[in-house]
Amino acid sequence: MFRNQYDTDITTYSPQGRLHQVEYAMEAVKQGSASVGVRSKTHVVLATLKRFASELSGDQKKLFAIDDHVVIAISGLTADARVLSRYMRTETQHHKFMYEEPMPVGRLVLQVADKCQISTQRASKRPFGVGLLVAGVDENGPHLYQTCPSGNYFEYLAMAIGARSQSAKTYLERTYTTLADADVEALVQAAVTALRETVASSKDTELSAKNTAIAIVGSDGAPVRILENAAVQPYIDALDSTPSAADDDDDDEDEADAPAATPAVAPDAPAAAPEGGSPAGGDAPAEEPPANGAADMQT
Amino acid sequence: MCRGVLSCFCLLDHSQYDLSSTTFSPDGRVFQIEYAQKAVENSGTAVGVSCKDGVVMAVEKVVVSKMLVPGTMRRAHLVDHHSGLVISGLISDGRQLATRARDECSSYKSVYDSAIPGHVLAERLANFAHVYTLYAYVRPFGCAALLGAHDDTNGYQLYLVEPSGVSYRYFGAAVGKGKQAAKTALEKLDFKSLTCREAVKELAKIIVDVHDEAKDKLYELEMCWVCEESKNMSQLVPQDVVDEARKAAEAAQDDDSDMDDDE
Amino acid sequence: MSGLRLTEGSRGPGASVAVEGAPLTRTQVPYVTGSSVLGMKCADGVVIACDTMASYGSLARFKRLTRMHVASPNCILGVGGDYSDFQQLQTMVDAEMTAQYVANDGLSLSPKAIHAFLARHMYHRRCKVDPLWNSVLVAGFHKGEGTLSLVDLYGTAYSSDVLATGFALHLGLPLLRNAHRPDITVAEAKVVMNDVLKVLFYRDARTNDVVQLATVTAAGVEVGDMVKLDTEWNHKAFVQGARAGDESSW
Repeated sequence: MFRNQYDTDITTYSPQGRLHQVEYAMEAVKQGSASVGVRSKTHVVLATLKRFASELSGDQKKLFAIDDHVVIAISGLTADARVLSRYMRTETQHHKFMYEEPMPVGRLVLQVADKCQISTQRASKRPFGVGLLVAGVDENGPHLYQTCPSGNYFEYLAMAIGARSQSAKTYLERTYTTLADADVEALVQAAVTALRETVASSKDTELSAKNTAIAIVGSDGAPVRILENAAVQPYIDALDSTPSAADDDDDDEDEADAPAATPAVAPDAPAAAPEGGSPAGGDAPAEEPPANGAADMQT
Repeated sequence: MCRGVLSCFCLLDHSQYDLSSTTFSPDGRVFQIEYAQKAVENSGTAVGVSCKDGVVMAVEKVVVSKMLVPGTMRRAHLVDHHSGLVISGLISDGRQLATRARDECSSYKSVYDSAIPGHVLAERLANFAHVYTLYAYVRPFGCAALLGAHDDTNGYQLYLVEPSGVSYRYFGAAVGKGKQAAKTALEKLDFKSLTCREAVKELAKIIVDVHDEAKDKLYELEMCWVCEESKNMSQLVPQDVVDEARKAAEAAQDDDSDMDDDE
Repeated sequence: MSGLRLTEGSRGPGASVAVEGAPLTRTQVPYVTGSSVLGMKCADGVVIACDTMASYGSLARFKRLTRMHVASPNCILGVGGDYSDFQQLQTMVDAEMTAQYVANDGLSLSPKAIHAFLARHMYHRRCKVDPLWNSVLVAGFHKGEGTLSLVDLYGTAYSSDVLATGFALHLGLPLLRNAHRPDITVAEAKVVMNDVLKVLFYRDARTNDVVQLATVTAAGVEVGDMVKLDTEWNHKAFVQGARAGDESSW
């Protein structure tokens, strides 16, 4: 009668113990434009690709400063992200008020993840259709976290989410070990280069100062910096001298394609399907839909 | 009249009985709860033992990317100074159980000015899980919790709280993917003479043995204990102790497979 | 119906229940109270000191009660004022520290954060016109530096090298200020504390002569035993009265 009767209600498990509605929410993240995060021993950098709803419109916001020491990049539904960012701003302010100290990043992310979980367990709600990369510093140094609509969160050394993020992840997996001791400039360049991977195969999109936004936060005590437009240009210019991995050589290309061909072992399958069959199992679409197919509300 | 038509419709479609935890099937089963248990059975194995000088719990954490910071995706949670739990199943659901357990601990403390006994905590946590099986507007938890606790009257205790809302006290318990094999291994242990230090090694061995190398390559081992060595405080078993136990278990496994090869 | 209508006056100052015709009141006086607490920041740590009596009005109701509470391995509270409110504070701080323990993320509250936490709570209660009737000294040692702060029932919060609460604000603080040097050591400060506690015992009728000292240093919190002060009662003035030998008239 129905193709799948278990996939319309957030409170219904499939016979395999999966929650399809949660998995679909995870798909919304993949529809959003890409966000990349990288971390060294002293800094975290986020690089994001901004979409424009039309030639006449401004860009959809990708980066939200939460506090002096925390910034997030979003992929998925911007409106949902605004709800989460407002929550995060309230929580960091509350912590500062209560303890006169900045909020530890891990505790903030934990609260966000718990908030996300709530809306996966009630029939009256839907999961948040957005994934976050949270960059921040605290007493233990710099941190990069990813949160998912499923209520899962992970701490990463380097990570990418959003449309065609697999290409960026493949690039990062090859390079992330060299980033621990990188200086800020190198870190930003690495993030931008990884971001470029997500548009490398696209004919109509190219990384530019206009559609790239960067956030930097470091354990030097300086508040979050967000770079846009002219400030991004130097990193875009520097890109042309570093050949894209896709053009680089054939071996790399094979490597980049490999995970997409066998989604079950793709390193990101977990991010999408953290086991227990929760988010997107093996039958999730391996290929991400084309960027221009996304609705305006997704960034 | 309208009702008659509707129920007729439902009866025709047998599978309509498994869409809500508020629906019994004709043979008295609640499928949604069974499906929630299925979510647990797909997840990394968790094992626990209550032994001579403490209670130890271990859980297999499948690592989803090599770029993850070690130790992230916590599956072992402390809930009070004297109790902790490990989660098998959906991690995010498990955190809600841990949060509830913490709330129960602190509310018991504020009322009685003493630490919550293990059986009370287990019962309250099970009640909490059970409530989520009663209403159509929520779903059951997709996780099970192995709860370890110590109190002066009852000593060391291990409980297993399941999505259905049942909880039993165990000497040795296992949930998750490899629970059958793990249970068989647990049955061979002598819980009365086993010390926690030995239990760490035994649990590491069980997890290493039941781990499916073909399916999930990378995994971490996370352990939590409440024991004499930790002064009856709940804590994560120190990483070096866990690593050592895991290495020994892996070495033993290699030896075994070598021998098999020889034969 | 005439009936008995209680008024504020007939209910006494401690009334805390709503009564028809009377204004709603909360705690207006403390009942069982502890007296002063002293604190001094030293080069190598912090020392706090207090006596161990809890009075019921002018009655020396309880002796040998500790008025200190170890909040964390590197932070201790010394509390004056209402003893049951102090116990409530302990419960609150303990619950908060348990929450920190179970988070198990390698982070804990610094003494400064504990002080801020208490200050927010005390001010919150005072805004409800239902204060916790205490003065709290917060002594800690964090990242190689001692911290000494105070918060009172109004939520007033400040830090200083020397601090005192209660009667010692008048009698003890000047003595502490005179004795304090930036390079004073914990060992030296302990001697000073003993002297000041002695003065307080002679002059403040709400103290006893059994005292307790605590230090916070790089090694952590160390709470001393309750010690009986070595007091001298054979001064001429004590034996014969303050005006012995004084022939003059007022």
